[in-house]
Amino acid sequence: MTEPKEAPEAKPADINKGLLTRWWIHAAGAVLIAVAVGALAYESGFVPNRETVQSASQTTADGFFQPPSDDQIPNDEFGAAVRRGQAIFTNTSTNASQYVGNGLSCSNCHLGAGRQPFSAPMWAAWVQYPKYRSKNKQINTMEDRVKGCFSYSMNAQHSIKGGPPPAGDDIYRDLQTYMYWLATGAPTNEAIKGVGFGKVAKTELGYSPERGAEVFAANCAVCHGGDGQGQKDINGRYVFPPLWGENSYNWGAGMARIDTAAAFIKHNMPLSQPGRLTDQEAWDVAAYIDSFERPKDPRQKGKTIEETRKQYHEGDQIYYGQTVNGVLLGVGTPDPERPVGAGD
Amino acid sequence: MTIENKGGANSFHQPDENFEPYEQHGKMPWPLIAIAIGLGLWGAATLFDTREDVATAQADRTAASQADTGLTTDPGSALFAARCSTCHQPDGMGVRGAIPPLAGSPFVAQGPELVATILMRGIDGPIRVNDHIFNGHMPSFASALTDIEIGALSTHVAQRFGGSSEAYPTTAVAALRAAISDSGSFKGGQDISTITGLDFGNQPAGKAQVAHSLTPEVSALIFTGRGEQWACASCHGDLGQGKENTPRLAGLSADYIVKQLDDFANGRRLNESMRVVVATLSDSEKRQVADYYAGLRVPSTARPELGGDLARGEALALRGDWSRNVPACFSCHGPSGFGVSPEFPPLAAQQAAYTASQLAAWAGGHRNNSSLDLMGRISRQLDDADRRAVADYLASLPPVPAGEAEQIARTGVRP
Amino acid sequence: MNRYFPLSILALAILAFATLMLVIAPGIQIGRHSAPAGLKPYTEQEQRGRDVYVSQGCVYCHSQQPRSPDQAPDGVRGWGRPAVAGDYTYDTPHQLGTMRTGPDLLNVGARLPSRDWHLTHLYQPRAIFGWSIMPAYPFLFEEKSAAGPEDVVVALPSQYAPKSGVVIAKQEALDLTAYLLSLDRTYPAPAEALRDDGYSGPEDAK
Repeated sequence: MTEPKEAPEAKPADINKGLLTRWWIHAAGAVLIAVAVGALAYESGFVPNRETVQSASQTTADGFFQPPSDDQIPNDEFGAAVRRGQAIFTNTSTNASQYVGNGLSCSNCHLGAGRQPFSAPMWAAWVQYPKYRSKNKQINTMEDRVKGCFSYSMNAQHSIKGGPPPAGDDIYRDLQTYMYWLATGAPTNEAIKGVGFGKVAKTELGYSPERGAEVFAANCAVCHGGDGQGQKDINGRYVFPPLWGENSYNWGAGMARIDTAAAFIKHNMPLSQPGRLTDQEAWDVAAYIDSFERPKDPRQKGKTIEETRKQYHEGDQIYYGQTVNGVLLGVGTPDPERPVGAGD
Repeated sequence: MTIENKGGANSFHQPDENFEPYEQHGKMPWPLIAIAIGLGLWGAATLFDTREDVATAQADRTAASQADTGLTTDPGSALFAARCSTCHQPDGMGVRGAIPPLAGSPFVAQGPELVATILMRGIDGPIRVNDHIFNGHMPSFASALTDIEIGALSTHVAQRFGGSSEAYPTTAVAALRAAISDSGSFKGGQDISTITGLDFGNQPAGKAQVAHSLTPEVSALIFTGRGEQWACASCHGDLGQGKENTPRLAGLSADYIVKQLDDFANGRRLNESMRVVVATLSDSEKRQVADYYAGLRVPSTARPELGGDLARGEALALRGDWSRNVPACFSCHGPSGFGVSPEFPPLAAQQAAYTASQLAAWAGGHRNNSSLDLMGRISRQLDDADRRAVADYLASLPPVPAGEAEQIARTGVRP
Repeated sequence: MNRYFPLSILALAILAFATLMLVIAPGIQIGRHSAPAGLKPYTEQEQRGRDVYVSQGCVYCHSQQPRSPDQAPDGVRGWGRPAVAGDYTYDTPHQLGTMRTGPDLLNVGARLPSRDWHLTHLYQPRAIFGWSIMPAYPFLFEEKSAAGPEDVVVALPSQYAPKSGVVIAKQEALDLTAYLLSLDRTYPAPAEALRDDGYSGPEDAK
């Protein structure tokens, strides 16, 4: 009787082993069912996927406001004005032909057709105005501000009309409609991330055009040309904008100030590689670019360079009225024989 | 077949040695059933999903074949937006100093036939439109658009910008295509006046084209090969059109081609076949071969063939994807993908497989010859679908118009 | 085993079902389609070259069936669009292959249209690709002291060239090359073509 007794004692271990195996098989079955049901739920759209979540919000992953996309421009009179404004913005010398005296477009500095954060995006600018500007010591409406762009950045003094569009011109209406539309849903009266060009921290070394020349040759010349005059395609159309000289912005433009240029460069250049340059390099190359002659400040009329410097550029980080490498800057490039863009 | 009283020993026959044990039908364990149900559900889900895909695929193919036959709604304005607006602008105003306006142009006012002729031949040389002289290059769309598309497009342009009410029939386009097959581009406004017999006022004269002459040595390099070097044309085609991942060379800038040949030699571009070839070339031969290909103006043989999403490709080419720091292709390679010498080659009409494979090569570190690693950084931001989309879009564009020496190209004959 | 009859019936039924679904139905489906407009029959020489391809066992390392972009980046590799059934109209038996030790060859004539390149590569793959593991086929070539008027000389880098004389392609090599150059299915696939419908629409492509 003792012998048969031993056999049942051995049994429990076998049973446990069997149970364990069974448990694993059950678990595998359950996992499979869960996967199948999960896949079904996902396919039928019960689980929201990432894209739908993202498009529902008004901010990008980096926390910047996201303007509407072009295919959301409405097909009505308002939408037509938005499109006209966009056409002026991206092809300024053609669609505001009478008032542009150089080779630039709004979108040369306001990248992505006015969408790119820290490239003075229009959605952020729109909700900042009207505002007080020390540049002209008065409250500026958006129209005033755009007028300033034409006067300085687009060098309207060399254009066919010889100045910015007159107050109330359709160019302002269309541009403002475009900006308003870009700012659809943007918060007003609060600090909006990505506004302007941002800032670059001051560096111990300060800035130097000599160091900047090396930075320029290594990082900028491939697109803007070794002489900074930009590059054109076979049709003579600017692909890369000129940075100084007669076809660039004039001495009154914000970009002629080294701090502004440094901030723009730091956050946006080289295109597709923002942040490639160190703060020091950004300062130096901005100083280099802004140490060349460019069209004169239109506010200089009848005044000496020194008077103009004192009145409009005092305290600015700008080479206007200073002597760099033995050359007095601010004299301006020679006036063109005929207005820029006049008929042949 | 279930044996009911499974445990009852009495219900069985006593086994003997010849007895075949009866196979009982055991109950299937529930996990097995669960697995079967799970797999079944999964299969059903997949089938359901694929069923939609099959339907989408069929619809896409139908749409594609309809696009081939020009049956889409309002094809003219869609074609204008896709094919003309990067240069002439969506509003047809052109670009000051570079691209003539269509609105108010006396050429467009002539009606759709002249528009179609210009579309198919292209213009290389000065032309006066209203008060301005434009000295530029318009590509020939003959290889990029079908007769139906050219008919719809010229009708649309003439009606929208020229005040025409005429519709230009496809049959007329076909006749026109046959009539001008090998005539090459217009040399400018005066050439258009002379050839069409129409008066467009005081038009500037275009430059006479100089036939490109090849030395016998360089001709041999290109067409017959030499020693251990295979002929350029044996892979790139007699006219440098390329195929699949062999690139189109016609119309690339000579400086760009020389730089690439040098980079094959110094290893910044990895391509074993090209490395074998460049090892045999002298600097002067590289330059002459490059000059030859740079001067070719030949129709495009590239087609979208990678199944890429053309709308996505167009968006990348025209606007980029700033959320990934990918600028528009055209912001550096020129507004129509014509290139900016020497660092930014033409992209228009390049073979889709080549463009996509180069983007993949940059992303994977097999091509390292882009200044500032611009293309490397950009390529790494694109996924496979993006690469196919943008390559397919660029392949659909008309070829870059090349300047000099088009006569070899036009006759298409080996010297 | 005591129910032979139902068991055999079931087995036969399964076999019949499989034959119907996997052989007969696709056969009928394929039979309805004619050769695509862009596909030319092989010439006599290409056919001979195809026999060399078969006899050298190329199929063991080279497939002839480019995949759709969802399955493999074959298009980006330059291997051509996804194959459709009609592409094999003149291939009996087809050389689809399963191994991709080397690249797919269904469109090799389009992406590498140079006869001279192929001759060099067949004679000694490592003359071009130092890392290549493809066998060399020197027995398809012969060395001669000087090339005759009809002879096709193989272009070779000096380190692979014979000390004196030249390497001449035998007829088999020329045939095989002609066959390889004929592998060009880059014409557009007919809209109604039979194809793998493992397809992603534009939505999925994102």
